[in-house]
Amino acid sequence: MSNRTVRIKVKTMTAWRQRIRPEQLRELSLVVLIAAALLIFGWQIENFLSARTFNRIATSVAIVGMVAIGQTLVVLTRNIDLSVGSIVGFTAYFVGSQLAANNAMGAPVAVALAVAVGGLMGLINGLIVAYGRVPAIITTLGTLAIYRMLLINYANARTVTVDSLPSWVVDFSRQTLLSIGDFAVRPLMVVTLATVVVFQFVLGYTVFGRRLYAIGSNPEAARFAGLPAQRLVLIAFTLCGMLAGLAGFLFLARFGTITAVAGQGIELESVAAVVVGGVNTFGGSGTALGALLGAFLIDLLGQGLLRWLGISEFWRDALLGLLILLAVASDAVILGWLRQLWQRGAEVNHGR
Amino acid sequence: MHGAPVLEMRDISRRFGNTQALDGVSLRLYPGEIHALLGENGAGKSTLIKIMTGVHQPDSGQILLDGRPVHIGSTLEAQRLGIAAIYQEPLMYPDLNVAENIFIAHANRGPWVDWRRMYRDAENILSQLDVRLDVRQPARGLSVAAQQTVEIARALSLQVRVLIMDEPTAALSAHEVDQLFAIVQRLRDQGVAILFISHRLEEVFRIADRITILRDGQLISSAPRADVTPERAIRDMAGRAIELLFPRRDTVRDRVLVQVRDLGRTGVFSGISFDVREGEVLGFAGLVGARRTDVGLALFGIAPADSGTIVIDGHAVRITKPAQAMRYGIAYASEDRRGLGLSLPMSIAANITLPMLRRYLTPMGLLRRNAEASTAEEYRRRLSIRTPSVEVEVSRLSGGNQQKVMLSKWLNTKPRLLILDEPTRGIDVGAKAEVHQMIDDLAAEGVAIILISSDLPEVLAMSDRVLVMREGRQMGIFNRREATQERILAAAMGQSETLTS
Amino acid sequence: MGANLRRLVSWEGFLLGILVLVIIVNTSRAPAYLSLTNQINLFQLSIEKIIVALVMTFVIINGEIDLSVASVMGLAACMIAVLFESGVPLPLAILAALIAGVCCGAFNGLWVAYVGLPSLAVTLAGMIGYRGVARILIEDRSIGGFPAWFTALGQQPLLGPFPLSLILFAVLFALAIIILQFSGIGRIIYVIGNNAAVARYSGIDTPRLKLGVFVASGLIAAMAGVLLAARLGAVRGNTAEGFELDIITMVLLGGVSIFGGVGNLVGVGLAILVILNLRNGMSLLNVTGNVQTGVIGVLLILSVLLPNLVQMARERLQRRTTQRKEVQVETETSASS
Repeated sequence: MSNRTVRIKVKTMTAWRQRIRPEQLRELSLVVLIAAALLIFGWQIENFLSARTFNRIATSVAIVGMVAIGQTLVVLTRNIDLSVGSIVGFTAYFVGSQLAANNAMGAPVAVALAVAVGGLMGLINGLIVAYGRVPAIITTLGTLAIYRMLLINYANARTVTVDSLPSWVVDFSRQTLLSIGDFAVRPLMVVTLATVVVFQFVLGYTVFGRRLYAIGSNPEAARFAGLPAQRLVLIAFTLCGMLAGLAGFLFLARFGTITAVAGQGIELESVAAVVVGGVNTFGGSGTALGALLGAFLIDLLGQGLLRWLGISEFWRDALLGLLILLAVASDAVILGWLRQLWQRGAEVNHGR
Repeated sequence: MHGAPVLEMRDISRRFGNTQALDGVSLRLYPGEIHALLGENGAGKSTLIKIMTGVHQPDSGQILLDGRPVHIGSTLEAQRLGIAAIYQEPLMYPDLNVAENIFIAHANRGPWVDWRRMYRDAENILSQLDVRLDVRQPARGLSVAAQQTVEIARALSLQVRVLIMDEPTAALSAHEVDQLFAIVQRLRDQGVAILFISHRLEEVFRIADRITILRDGQLISSAPRADVTPERAIRDMAGRAIELLFPRRDTVRDRVLVQVRDLGRTGVFSGISFDVREGEVLGFAGLVGARRTDVGLALFGIAPADSGTIVIDGHAVRITKPAQAMRYGIAYASEDRRGLGLSLPMSIAANITLPMLRRYLTPMGLLRRNAEASTAEEYRRRLSIRTPSVEVEVSRLSGGNQQKVMLSKWLNTKPRLLILDEPTRGIDVGAKAEVHQMIDDLAAEGVAIILISSDLPEVLAMSDRVLVMREGRQMGIFNRREATQERILAAAMGQSETLTS
Repeated sequence: MGANLRRLVSWEGFLLGILVLVIIVNTSRAPAYLSLTNQINLFQLSIEKIIVALVMTFVIINGEIDLSVASVMGLAACMIAVLFESGVPLPLAILAALIAGVCCGAFNGLWVAYVGLPSLAVTLAGMIGYRGVARILIEDRSIGGFPAWFTALGQQPLLGPFPLSLILFAVLFALAIIILQFSGIGRIIYVIGNNAAVARYSGIDTPRLKLGVFVASGLIAAMAGVLLAARLGAVRGNTAEGFELDIITMVLLGGVSIFGGVGNLVGVGLAILVILNLRNGMSLLNVTGNVQTGVIGVLLILSVLLPNLVQMARERLQRRTTQRKEVQVETETSASS
């Protein structure tokens, strides 16, 4: 390669480097992956690119995506919340039974109730982790069981049924706000998208958000600089609980029929979404949008591959496991590669 | 020219256990002055800095800011008073970009991040320093020099009045040092008081307005640069009392055990060549950042060398794993006793037998506790480890006794080449004398010893020859007759031509 | 005696106290409680989890975690069922299941020990993925109809009143104690868990040992899966799902630190007894399984939280005393000056 080409290459790299942050690169690569998957599936599978597929994925991603946003906040601080599935189940059942008992209750009250109950549960997690110095994995493994126990006791083997709920609840998930051709924009997805926008802003444009990254990125430096790490972790867990509570409400709206096992397994799905979405399990990097895209990609691949390869629904988990491993491994590789690239860029910068 | 000092340290003393780290030291820092602090390792420089930045509290003495006595309880309080420090290894948030690294801890910028304003402010501060650095770049990829610049910018953004720089140039290239000095001089012109600590004498003489020298926790001299010569500075630093001049026996044998030629590890050290004979103690002298430990780690296979040759008993060998090094009879007793040398929650016996555990197992792989205990008892007697029992956890022993356990651990491998990295750091005088006795005994038995030590009198007293390193390069090897404190210090600070013997 | 040791001993004493209390309460409610039959039955109901808890103790003391054990159990159970169904002789199917367990463990271990990925993430992927493989094999069927000798092995007494799984557990427990507390490998597992760098600086091949521990974890989990299939007599895709929580809880409640290097099998043994008896006692009180799990969740959090709170209180007290001392010193100096 001639000297000139090298120089040009370096120059474009420098220009490119200045515009894009590594986090955005990760989001971009997810978008590219999703687009590629859509193209391949659309080409290979008959009727894949239909409104039906879109609506199906959008509805199921809305709930996991909501939880994944909260999970992102916690994972950014080098913690993890495994109790979110139980929180989703508890709030879904609790709000459902309240609505069943009191059909006059309005939507704002119901949503507020869900968020408050979830927030309280998250607060408890946060207090134990941040101020009780109990590792997050132990704490939330414990509360995973405890919150589920509360739910089962409270439910006492009863079920919230669709018929007992006020009609607006079910309408909430079925209603079409806006349709573009056959593509229906449903409230469920809108709520989750709105939440992503809010938290993308919180993480990107508030001091609170940036400090979450700081304490996850280098806890020692954060302590040295006097950042209130304990309080930040507490708030992250509380917000995660609140979002799980909101997801619980969405869960209620989507299914209508709620039993004591509602939401089981969402904790793993949310962690998977977060990891595939590029949130570093060691804290410090990742975005809410990335987590949502991760959830979307997982669902898309799940549905698409199954139909494309003509394999059964049962392949889903195996593929998901592989996807998570690939995401974690590629993160380690990509991070090293990015570091080199930035370094080279920095040297070029230095020399100019 | 100065008026009143910003920060005055008055009669500061501080003790750590048996060591008087600082003994009645007074120091004044004036605005717009670069004040260099010199001293050998362990002279008390870092303790003084840590007191200024609130990490340690003085046992006695006063700190005055603008003439008023202040109490500095924490780094945060120091920062509020306008005192900031920059260390050799900057504290960065690798995932945040340059601008954020500067402003993340600021309390008064409101709850929203105005990126554009932050970038502008960051660029302003950096341009005050006349540095061109992309403020949108994450800290992860930055060179140490750039990270230091970010730390300086961070300090500046906090309206710093006293900036302490602890060996800021240790990891920088010559070009980067020039840039850093330009920044430092600009800060001085803006009226910041700068306390500058460096082991590079030529740098100190290039930049400092005033030079203060500490030795053994006491202030030896403090004078304007014009009144100090490099020779005098070295003399003042070197005049350390030799507490125990140990009478070494002549134990060097003829047989060369290890020959090292042109050994290097990219980006760490290069061009290291020496021979060690059986029964010889080869001292490794140098200041902080001389990379002596890295040579030891290369010989032990932890961070293998990538160029040069190692010849043992006449055979060229490649060492890439500690287990390999141990097979060649090499042992390395780490300087970081608590972090790398000993498993603190385990018993004395378990630590001593760890590298040779295979020898203490039955054919079924079970531990032979009695054999372990008797080995441990043997070393307990031989090195007089003071403990009620060899089953006591190592964490409960004093520093000196821990050191003896670590030495026992490596002696038990029956090494032919024993690398001792700072074997007497942080232990009391009595234990120190015992370690010296042990080194002499081992040499008499024919063990070759590499003694890495920052305690210059110790190196001089114990070594048959002394290899001096500076910033990853070999500055010379001095035999017993040639080796004086002044000559070795001069070589370690880059003040003399290369000598070989 | 060392501070750590003393704390452990007192932790074990605490567990012993709870155990005695639980047994007394249970016996007072059901006089036949301490009978051999009931106690064997008690063990039998959770025997597979207990067996895996033994090897999990090794993993956690070594400073790692294995979230995939329950999925490996399920995979092993599904493998023998599916292979048997397709005509493979059962002993051969069992062998294949054990080999699959070893492969799962080796897969986890390679990523953790040689690539350096966090075990939490790797075994989370394994937890989902291995379960997925089990689902691919068995889909939504339930396979049973094993030969009588196989189910009898899982359900009937083999030696006196003891069934095979219990005998196996006793043997494994003894073996685990010998390896962890009395062998060279056990010593090294502790050293690595405490501080892997010290092990490396002592010439120990740390990655190989870590790999070995994960392989053992996979093998034992697969074996437990086989036992589970024999006891249940039928296998489904969700067999053993969620067991990892109970297993990890047993280990942590036994005084093993999640950060590695601390704990022993005596504590874990006691914790197992506490959990079994507590669950059984709650069953006597007609408390449902999920509530039992919840109570154990509380116990798990408290087992770490309480010592922390005590420690914090002590630190605060200490700080206050030193402050008082400093004040005293100050007054003394000012008096003398």
